[in-house]
Parts: sequence; structure tokens; C-alpha cells
Amino acid sequence: MTKPSIPVGIICSQHGPYQAMGREILKSAMMAVDEINEQDGFDFSISAHVRDPRGVIAEYHTVCDDLIRNVGVEHIIGCYTSASRKQVLPIVERTDRLLWYPARYEGFECSDNVIYVGASPNHNVLPLVRYVLDNLSREIFCVGSNYVWTWETNRVTRELVTAAGGRILAERLLELGESAVTHIVDEIVRRRPPVVFNTLVGSSSYDFIRAFHAATTAANLSIPMLSCSLCEPELKIAGPASAGCITSSAYFESIRLPENKAFVARWKARYGEHSSPSVDGQSAYVAVYLLARALQRAGTSDIGEVRRAAAGHRYNSPQGPVWIDDSNNHCVLTPRLAVSNAEAQFDIFWEAEAPVKPDPYLTQLDVAASPARDAASPNAPHLRVVK
Amino acid sequence: MSKPSSFSLRGRKALVAIKDERDASIVKRQFERLGIEIVTWEPGAKIDCRPDVTLIDDEFLPLTSPAQRASLGRSPVIALLGTETPSRLKLVLDLDPASFLVKPLRSAGIYAALVMAFERNERTNELKQQVVKLEQRLRSRRIVLAAVLQVMHTHALAEPAAFALIRRAAMEQRKTIEDISAEITAKGSLPRAIG
Repeated sequence: MTKPSIPVGIICSQHGPYQAMGREILKSAMMAVDEINEQDGFDFSISAHVRDPRGVIAEYHTVCDDLIRNVGVEHIIGCYTSASRKQVLPIVERTDRLLWYPARYEGFECSDNVIYVGASPNHNVLPLVRYVLDNLSREIFCVGSNYVWTWETNRVTRELVTAAGGRILAERLLELGESAVTHIVDEIVRRRPPVVFNTLVGSSSYDFIRAFHAATTAANLSIPMLSCSLCEPELKIAGPASAGCITSSAYFESIRLPENKAFVARWKARYGEHSSPSVDGQSAYVAVYLLARALQRAGTSDIGEVRRAAAGHRYNSPQGPVWIDDSNNHCVLTPRLAVSNAEAQFDIFWEAEAPVKPDPYLTQLDVAASPARDAASPNAPHLRVVK
Repeated sequence: MSKPSSFSLRGRKALVAIKDERDASIVKRQFERLGIEIVTWEPGAKIDCRPDVTLIDDEFLPLTSPAQRASLGRSPVIALLGTETPSRLKLVLDLDPASFLVKPLRSAGIYAALVMAFERNERTNELKQQVVKLEQRLRSRRIVLAAVLQVMHTHALAEPAAFALIRRAAMEQRKTIEDISAEITAKGSLPRAIG
């Protein structure tokens, strides 16, 4: 007997400035869809309706509208930048649909029509900046793409750094897709900051990493770079210059969990031995599974029922245990810190002792608290060294 | 110690008067996420707490009790608007709201309305303090004028020179011009250090 099919929209840009990430999200989402469709444990199949807004912000609204009006989807997986999510948000709220958003983002949003599967700011920015303050420097040079992710990440960084008696040496912003990075690299070489925090996205980031590496090598400088977004496929695009970047993320290909080893093996069997899953891609994979498991439990695709069925149920995903916190629709995740190596992989050196509750409004953040005092908070990440 | 940031709302107490249950549940849910304590309030009942902020539904306006209006005046008020008619807005403006939200409520916007209200309140209080200070100085101008006239007469000086003398005396004694002027008019002469 043929299983009933549930239409699900997938929105990711396979063209434009962050096409690489869009393609990774699509690959992971489709892998999850195919896996679910092949499993007897699910008494339905998912029919994926993929749309490519090509990195054009207004297009996100158009394709979302099309998926809801013409295809009749109730659930949509996708969007990457916050600007794209904000385009889709009014439609899913007005029509009472559910967007499963895979990317890490800057927080300060909590829609009942969105499940935020990626990291909240307390999962990535906080552990990274705390680590830098404790181990590297109290002075940070920031360079990022000129949009909300960078603005908010820089604001949180500034609050933490200032409270610790340090300072932000500079905040240099580039438009999305901008490749003219030389003036910023020249300034870094001239001013020699102790660390550089890179919140550039897509091609701007790869151009910057390469130029930064070339210039600092020529000047015989060793300046650590920080990131909350770099992932393995991007390390490959940026090339050998990307080694040595200290990165905060809930997912790395090198996580030593059996679920991840199996996931990576399936991934490589499907996409080739030399390909790598990414954090946002893996998150899209998790999103599809969270949705499918909720659909199965709910026995309907009605979004209210699905949301209730999804909340609080633990899923042992490739990145470790993940569940949706029903107080804010964000996911409980395990923060990790790693440094990129010459093989375009990450060596994990810290991870939280247990999954950390999402804090999208940074309600639990006490910028004046010392890292030691802050660690006593039940919601603060307890970091431990990973051997 | 630095003042608490308007962006951090954890631990604040909100007095909430909302008519519609759905709106009330959205506010309750969002306030829990933000770490804000809620005290629900039915207009007509006595306000027996000192809230940090008050959310009031325009359905409950106008407030008839002067005591309630006085209580609300101590913390920033966020008005929940169901209609934008001038007659309703006039009632809302009587509360001097620091911010507003449009009904039906959604989670988006509540955080911003709160931050705006706290920041607006903070800035308004600073301005009020500045106004009080300026009013005091304005009132004491009469004393300064009297002191200048006295010094002009006693030392046979023109007005600019007399004022410069008083200002120098104030600086040397680390007092305000108003305080030193009060001493001059009380003693009938410049303080001895200058004399």
C-alpha cells in the first residue's frame, strides 16, 4: 500500500552570494527526506517542493507565497540569512504555517510559527567570546558583513569585552557579496590586533580569509581568527588559508558520536568521499527529522498538533541530543569550540558538559559576571576540554 | 556601578491589565521568556505593588481613580491599542505612555516596546532632573543679581568686573556662583579670602 504523501516546502538559495551554504542545506535536507521515505517506521512519505530564491531577498516572499498558495504546504524548511527569514515570517504567521529554520542566528525573535533549529546566540557567540577573554585577549578587531547577524554579534561581543575591561579595536563592515577586502587586511597588518573576529558570510568571507592569510604571512604575523559560522565545506572553498580559525558551532564533522559517524558515512556514500556536511546543512537534516518525528507522533500535519508533538522530544541527532524547548520554540543544543586544520576539518577542543537551553533574548546573560561566576548559572554552558 | 541596561529585562516586575485572554497569554508567554515577573491587575482594584513597567489595554481607559493614575505615573506605561481613533488615542495620551503595542498582539514587538519604554523613561527622568536643576538656578538668578549689584556698589566696579570677581571667589572656594552670591548678600561683603 502506498503511504500518504505530505508536501513540505524547502527554500534555499542555490545561486547568489551564499549559494554554497544554500546548496549544502538542500543536500542535507534531501538526504533526510530520502531516508525518511525509505523507513518503514514512518507511515507517510514527504514530498519535497524545492524553491530557489537565488539569494534575492524579495524572492523569499514570492516562493513562500507560491508554496503555500499553489502547493498547499503547511511546513517549510529553509531560509539562511535573517533577512530571508524576516521575508517569510509575515506569510507563515498570517497563514498559520510552520517554518523550520536551520541556520544559527542572532536571536531576539520568538515566533510561534517558527521552529528555530540552529544555534541561539548563547550557544555560539557567548562561549567563543568567553574563551577569547579567558585565553587570548581583551581586545578584538571585528570584520563582518553589513547585516543584522554581524550587528548583533558585535553588540554582544562589545558588551562582554567592555564588561571585562577590554575594548573593540575596530568594527569593519562589508556589503554582502563584497570582495574588496584589501583595505581591511592592510589595516589589520598595520594595527596588529591580538585577534580578529570574522562574521563575514559567503564569498566575502572566503576572499577575506585568503587575503588575511597572505598578508599576515608576508608580514610574519600570527593573528588568530574567530568565527561563529565557518564550516567544513567553506574551509575547502577558502583553501589552506582557512587553517587555524577558532570556531564556535553546535556541529562539526569531527564529532565522535556514533550517530555522527553513521551520518557522515551515509553522507559520503551519497555525495562523495571528499565532500563534507556543514553545520547549517546538518541542522536542516535535523529539522527534517524533528518534523517527521513530530508528524508521526501527531498523526496529522496540522501545525498546532505538530508543534505540540515536537516539543520536548529528544532526538539523538548527528550533533548529539537535540530537542525543542517549548517555552521559546528554539532547540536545546550542545555548544562546541574547535580550531580548523590543514585538512579542512575542525579539531574540537571544548564542548558543553550537557545540552544547553536556548536563550534567544540572552535573558540569562550577565555581562558583568566573571566567566567563573557565570558558569554557576544553570543555563550557562559548562565547558569541558574534549580529548 | 553602571546602570542596568535597558536591553536586559530579567528580574523586572510588570503590572499587566489586558482584557483579551489570547493577548494576555501571548504577553505572559513572552514575559516568561524574557524573565519578567507579571502581576495581573483589574482596573478598579487597588495597585499594591511598585511595578517597573505597566501594560494597559485601551479597553480599560479612562482610569477613573486619581490614585491609580498617580500609581501608574511612577513607572513607564505601555498602551495596548485596539483602535487608532483620535478619541481613543486621547485617552491613551492622558497616561503619557512611554511605548505602545497594537492588538491583536504577537510575540514580535513586545521586547522592542519594553526596551523603548524603559529607555524612554530613563531619558525622561534625566530630562526632568535637568529641568529641576535649571529651575533652581533660574530662581537663584535674583540672588546673583543682588550680589553683583552689591559688589558693584561696594567696590565701584562695572557689572562684568563685579561678576568676574564673584565667579573667581566661587571657583577659589569650590562653591557655586549661586551659593557664594547668597553669602555675599547675607554678609554684605565679599568673602574674606577674596576681599
